[in-house]
Amino acid sequence: MIEVTGLSKVFGTFTAVRDLSFAVRPGEVLGLVGPNGAGKTTTLRAIAGIIPPTTGQVRLADHDLLTDPVQAKRALAFFTDEPRLFDYLTVRQHLNFVARIYAVADHEAIAMPLLEELEIADRVESLPAELSRGMKQKLAIACGLLHSPQVLMFDEPLTGLDPLGIRRMKDSILKRAKAGAAIILSSHLLHLLEEVCSHVLILKRGEKIADGTLAEIRARFGNGDANANLEEVFIRATGGSE
Amino acid sequence: MTTSHSIAGALLYVRLTTIKGWFASRLRRLKQPKYLVGGVIGVVYIYSFFIRNLTQNGRGPWAATPTEAMPLIAEIGAAALLVMIAVNWILPRGRAGLAFSEAEISFLFPAPIKRSTLIHYRLLGTLTTLVLTSLFMTLVSGGWAISGSSAWLRAAAWWVVLGTVSLHFTATSFVVTRLLDRGVTSLARGALGIAVLVVAIGVPIVWTLMSLPAPTQEDLAGFPQIAHYAEAALQSGPLPWLLAVPKLVIAPMFAADARAFALALWPALLVLAAHYAWVLFSAVSFEEASIARAEKRATKLAAFRAGNLRTTALKKLRDPFKLRDSGRPETAFLWKNLVAMGRLFTPRSALVAAAIVAAACLWLVTAELRGGQAFVGVAATVLLPIVLFFGPMFARQDLRSDLKNADILKTYPLDGATIVFGEMLAPIAVLSAITWLALLAVTIVGPGDQIPAYVRLLGALAIGVCTPFFCALQLVIHNGIALTFPAWVQSVSNQGEHGLDVLGQRLLFFAGLILLLALGLLPAALGAVVTFFAVSWLVGPIVAALLAWLVVLTILGVEIGAGVRWLGERFARFDLSSELRP
Repeated sequence: MIEVTGLSKVFGTFTAVRDLSFAVRPGEVLGLVGPNGAGKTTTLRAIAGIIPPTTGQVRLADHDLLTDPVQAKRALAFFTDEPRLFDYLTVRQHLNFVARIYAVADHEAIAMPLLEELEIADRVESLPAELSRGMKQKLAIACGLLHSPQVLMFDEPLTGLDPLGIRRMKDSILKRAKAGAAIILSSHLLHLLEEVCSHVLILKRGEKIADGTLAEIRARFGNGDANANLEEVFIRATGGSE
Repeated sequence: MTTSHSIAGALLYVRLTTIKGWFASRLRRLKQPKYLVGGVIGVVYIYSFFIRNLTQNGRGPWAATPTEAMPLIAEIGAAALLVMIAVNWILPRGRAGLAFSEAEISFLFPAPIKRSTLIHYRLLGTLTTLVLTSLFMTLVSGGWAISGSSAWLRAAAWWVVLGTVSLHFTATSFVVTRLLDRGVTSLARGALGIAVLVVAIGVPIVWTLMSLPAPTQEDLAGFPQIAHYAEAALQSGPLPWLLAVPKLVIAPMFAADARAFALALWPALLVLAAHYAWVLFSAVSFEEASIARAEKRATKLAAFRAGNLRTTALKKLRDPFKLRDSGRPETAFLWKNLVAMGRLFTPRSALVAAAIVAAACLWLVTAELRGGQAFVGVAATVLLPIVLFFGPMFARQDLRSDLKNADILKTYPLDGATIVFGEMLAPIAVLSAITWLALLAVTIVGPGDQIPAYVRLLGALAIGVCTPFFCALQLVIHNGIALTFPAWVQSVSNQGEHGLDVLGQRLLFFAGLILLLALGLLPAALGAVVTFFAVSWLVGPIVAALLAWLVVLTILGVEIGAGVRWLGERFARFDLSSELRP
């Protein structure tokens, strides 16, 4: 469960996110969309506890992120658009390290199926420098999923993945949602969001333009076309420009 | 059809706007206090150490150099230039590449521009950049300026020398590329180069040595006589022919006045122009190597900007110890950073090293090898302060090297203090282990006849226990500076950053470091002194020393604890992306 209430983030005189409120329930996948500079990444970083919000409240898995950050983060996995890895740790050592941080008992029994699912099981002794960008992304995902998080946040998760990797990633997201995880997915790939997301939140210049189920968003911005795709809806909702 | 005139105009526009943009960005960032302060300190430093000397005494310490020595200095300078060029021909190097940036490659290589125009553009760019380098060299060498000419003329002389050398190196790489294209390997080329140099340089030198009379006692009576003999040696046989061109190049540096400079400049410019033409008309492919060079440079720069000074290929490193799935999370950071430090830094290696040091030192003692004992004792004693004071500066496997991963670290279910302390553990452990090894050596080989063994042992124990605290205090300061002024730390550790503001920041950074360390140690030192003198009359000096030692540990422990807690809170609020925002 993700609950965001009145979230704002100000950098100096620039307001990146303004008074944002929404909720993602277990089993829901929220697509966070918006033009470049809309505040998507800032929103995700604030909800993940990377940057403190200027105002507002964030609750992850019933824990307040500001007052009880350790418990809130225990339920969280955040995947950045650029995989952040430790240059000198191999795939196996990454998982070993993360397992200790999250106190994942018998982590090897969980890690191997994960690596096989992500198709990097044969690269356990490789360093990040020896992996392609897509493989690095998969390693970051394996590290994030190791502790079976209830709250997942993806910032452009498909960058660098091959077509098969994209398919597997979509399946993986849906599988986690079905298992009861609350998921936020930020991406410019609207067809992906359309396939995976149950809900959509549209941001523009740091402010929420609309949120709701795909059907609700279509009804609002589809100009009466119930089959309008998300791209058309997005362009209408954001005024067709940044 | 694009005319060469418009292309030249476009290229000139790129170059000029790049320079303008560089200066503008430098000036713009002076609006930020951290850069303005750095800039002011940099200017004061440059003025105090260089410009003031330059204006006060143009010839600096060399003013005392007799005019007669000038020709000899010029001969030695020419010989040095010749050696530098000869080494450049022998040492292996890859294919020719010109120093284009990645953006220049993206825009200019596919553009309808002739190769010769590209070469002109790059060479002129390099020669323009060398103007700044020449000014800097003139400033730096102001104190030992050997000619009587003005600073501007000396800068021009520097530019001619640096430009000629740069063009010669480029031409060399072009020749090497042509040889590689014809199937000549680097090894064969090196051998050929050595053979040519032996014939071209070795033979004349041997000829000169054989024809020159051996120095008499009078020749070696004093500096002027030695200088006279050396000058005669450099002017006899075929050496003057060999040094003729290098002498032409450096001649403007030795011009006594403006007129002499003007006379010396033209031949030097002719040599430079000849090199320019040599590069321009060398029909070799430089594109591939230029792309590879630009990529390498961009990767290096990106690594430096990310705070990663290690750009060479990483090796797989074994686990320093088995990391279990449960336990204190700080241990995970210790484990991770020990992996980063390399194969040598494992508990097992430390034990093996301790056994070797102990065995070697005991052998020196039992064999009564006084010289060996003294050597080991002195070496270990010298090593101790070096490790203790400079170690934390260089053992950066803590938050300083992990700032780029701050986003991920902050998503971990850990409070900031746990992360900060965990990150600091590896440098503390490694520096303490090295210190303990040195203490072990000193304890065993120390002067037994002067200091009793039990005193040495107690002293070593006292220092050994203090060591982790002392290292931790310094690491708190280093990491504190990194978290408080990440932009400064990025710029002072980023070798790609230049400028007066960065120079000033570096000076301020080190001054701040020393001040903070002194402030951190002062309470512990005061506490120890007060405790010792307060209780020694009551309980005797040994117990008083022990109590003073405990006071030192307590105060340092409290300071470290408070520091780590503060750093943890700072880390929780820390956002590198906004901190580095210009």
